[in-house]
Amino acid sequence: MAGGPCIHHIYSQLQPLEHRILRVICMSMRCLIIEDEADTARFIRNGLKEAGYTVTWCSESVEGLHLAMSEEWDIAILDRMLPGKIDGLSIVKTLRELGKTTPVLILSALASLDERVRGLRGGGDDYLTKPFAFSELLARVEALIRRSGKREDTTELRIADLRLDLRTRRAERGGKLISLQPREFRLLEYLVRHQEQIVTRTMLLESVWDYHFDPQTNVIDVQISRLRSKIDKGFSPPLLHTIRGAGYMVSAHG
Amino acid sequence: MVRLWESVAFRLAIFCGALVMGSVTIFSAIFYFGTIRVLNQDVDRKITSISQLLSVKYGTQGLDALHREIDAILNDKFDVDTEIYYLAGADGRKVAGNMSDWKELSSPLDQSIDRDVLRDGNPSSARLLLHRLPNGGLVIVGRDMKDINEITYLVWRTIGIGCGVALMLAVGGTILFRYLLQRRVGAIRKTVEEIEAGRLDRRIPISGVEDEFARLGREMNRMLDRIEHLMDGVRHVSNTIAHNLRTPLGRIRGHLDEALRAADSSQLADAAEFSIEQIDGLIAVFDRLLQIAESESGIRRQPFKTVALREVVTNVVELYDAIAEEKGIALVTNIEGDPKTLGDKDLLASALANLLDNAFKYGGRSVTISVRTRQNTGTVSVVVQDNGPGIPPEERPKVTQRFYRLDQNVPGTGLGLSIVDAIAQLHGASLQLEDASPGLLARLDLPPSPSQ
Repeated sequence: MAGGPCIHHIYSQLQPLEHRILRVICMSMRCLIIEDEADTARFIRNGLKEAGYTVTWCSESVEGLHLAMSEEWDIAILDRMLPGKIDGLSIVKTLRELGKTTPVLILSALASLDERVRGLRGGGDDYLTKPFAFSELLARVEALIRRSGKREDTTELRIADLRLDLRTRRAERGGKLISLQPREFRLLEYLVRHQEQIVTRTMLLESVWDYHFDPQTNVIDVQISRLRSKIDKGFSPPLLHTIRGAGYMVSAHG
Repeated sequence: MVRLWESVAFRLAIFCGALVMGSVTIFSAIFYFGTIRVLNQDVDRKITSISQLLSVKYGTQGLDALHREIDAILNDKFDVDTEIYYLAGADGRKVAGNMSDWKELSSPLDQSIDRDVLRDGNPSSARLLLHRLPNGGLVIVGRDMKDINEITYLVWRTIGIGCGVALMLAVGGTILFRYLLQRRVGAIRKTVEEIEAGRLDRRIPISGVEDEFARLGREMNRMLDRIEHLMDGVRHVSNTIAHNLRTPLGRIRGHLDEALRAADSSQLADAAEFSIEQIDGLIAVFDRLLQIAESESGIRRQPFKTVALREVVTNVVELYDAIAEEKGIALVTNIEGDPKTLGDKDLLASALANLLDNAFKYGGRSVTISVRTRQNTGTVSVVVQDNGPGIPPEERPKVTQRFYRLDQNVPGTGLGLSIVDAIAQLHGASLQLEDASPGLLARLDLPPSPSQ
């Protein structure tokens, strides 16, 4: 984490959301948006600016590709279908062929799974279907930036006094063993890996259960509350937080 | 004529008529050659051999002997009604015979010719063979053809009458056939016209005889039943889509309208929050409709792969285990062997999740839900069974209709089982809803993957 001792002091007193905003400001993340639809672009741009990102918007694919190639970006968000000869997918392909590893989030109104698979195979790192909630976009952008930052091969994950042993797949809190089913462990592992980040229900469904449809019932909420009762009940501080209208976050600063 | 030619019945009748005429012609030709020609050839052979005999007689015994021979033949009471002989000397005058004087000078020799002559003073249509003797005399051997000509006439008349009758039968048959065909086709056409005009309940009348038209009519009626059913479905769907989309849209509009008029920031924020929630609901309905459409159109059949059902069942069951625990529902899995099918993993998971959703929603508290896979010959089945209230038999066919909801008080979109049904059909499978007494047994019978 960036910043000197002063910032560290402020950190410990911050709410999760403020904490996140500050972190992004300190790092000043640069984001490139290639999107021909002005309304959608403005909506994303304003949201990301509010979250502290430096945003460059480009509505045209050739110029977008040029920008993506010539400058360094922390993340690129691009529309699947752009007017002109080069569409979103070709931009990603070109970037990857030229060795650029900038994380790319593809936006598309094409909801079918085939399109999603094509987008991801084409070199995209994540795929989001329009219409989407801004919180979903932000959560995914953050997850992508985080993932590209460090490719850890750790055998242990920690947050506060919670410890996850990835080899034995056992979880401990305050020295006490927590009994978790294998899938619960995967859920907790994903949340802890993305600690201090909002994780949405769809992200959990996709990465923990490998499920690409919206179930009708609140299955994820119930899964989370069961997990919460196992890792937070009788311990302090609470680690698993519900972020209203967005998703969940594992954080020691709540 | 062009209009007539456009009628299948007319063309068929013309074809049949031509066939009848053709066969009559061939038959007549065979009959003709078998009778008249044989008779004619017989006559030719006879007069040729007699002429040769006479010629030999002259060669060995001379003119007088020949003269005597002809007189003898004419008086032997044999063939007296038909035989014709004539002998002329070198000067061309008649020496013997029963034929009038021969006046032609340049008639062909040694071959049969047909002439009208006088035989014993009576006119006769005869066949003659002329032979020139070495001394310049002429021998004519011939035969009266009256009988044969009569037979020929009779034969030709028979053939003529036969052809005429055949032609009349063909024409009559054509008219009758055309009438019958038009009556049957007309009935079908009339029904089709009525259906075209919007009366989808009309059906083709089926006559008592189980012929091609009855079968065609029955098949068309079956097709019409299916179309009517689908049309009803579409009508029902458009009504319910309108209802399901308009209601939340109306609510959103009302809330926003009110908030705008009040111009109070907290009310605006509330309205915005409410709208987002409602719109999310709309997007969910929309996504589900798209998923059904996608499954029904079959475009997802392309990337079908071997799917291990164990993995699908485990993933989905482990997603629902927490909610089961919370509701005090026992969720039991039982996977037999390693069943595999050819399909789309995500869609199959979605189908199973929808079945589980249903069981959770309608099963009531503290039921037992069991998820099983079964491997039979020819199918692999995924079964979701609960011991809740089940579905009454009369409701079972309706629950797969879009937006049909068994209990309006239970929240939902009414699309769950429609999705399962569409996914099942995409996989060449069927969704069976059975009475588990008590409870509901929902079973997906999938074709096993070819590698098994």
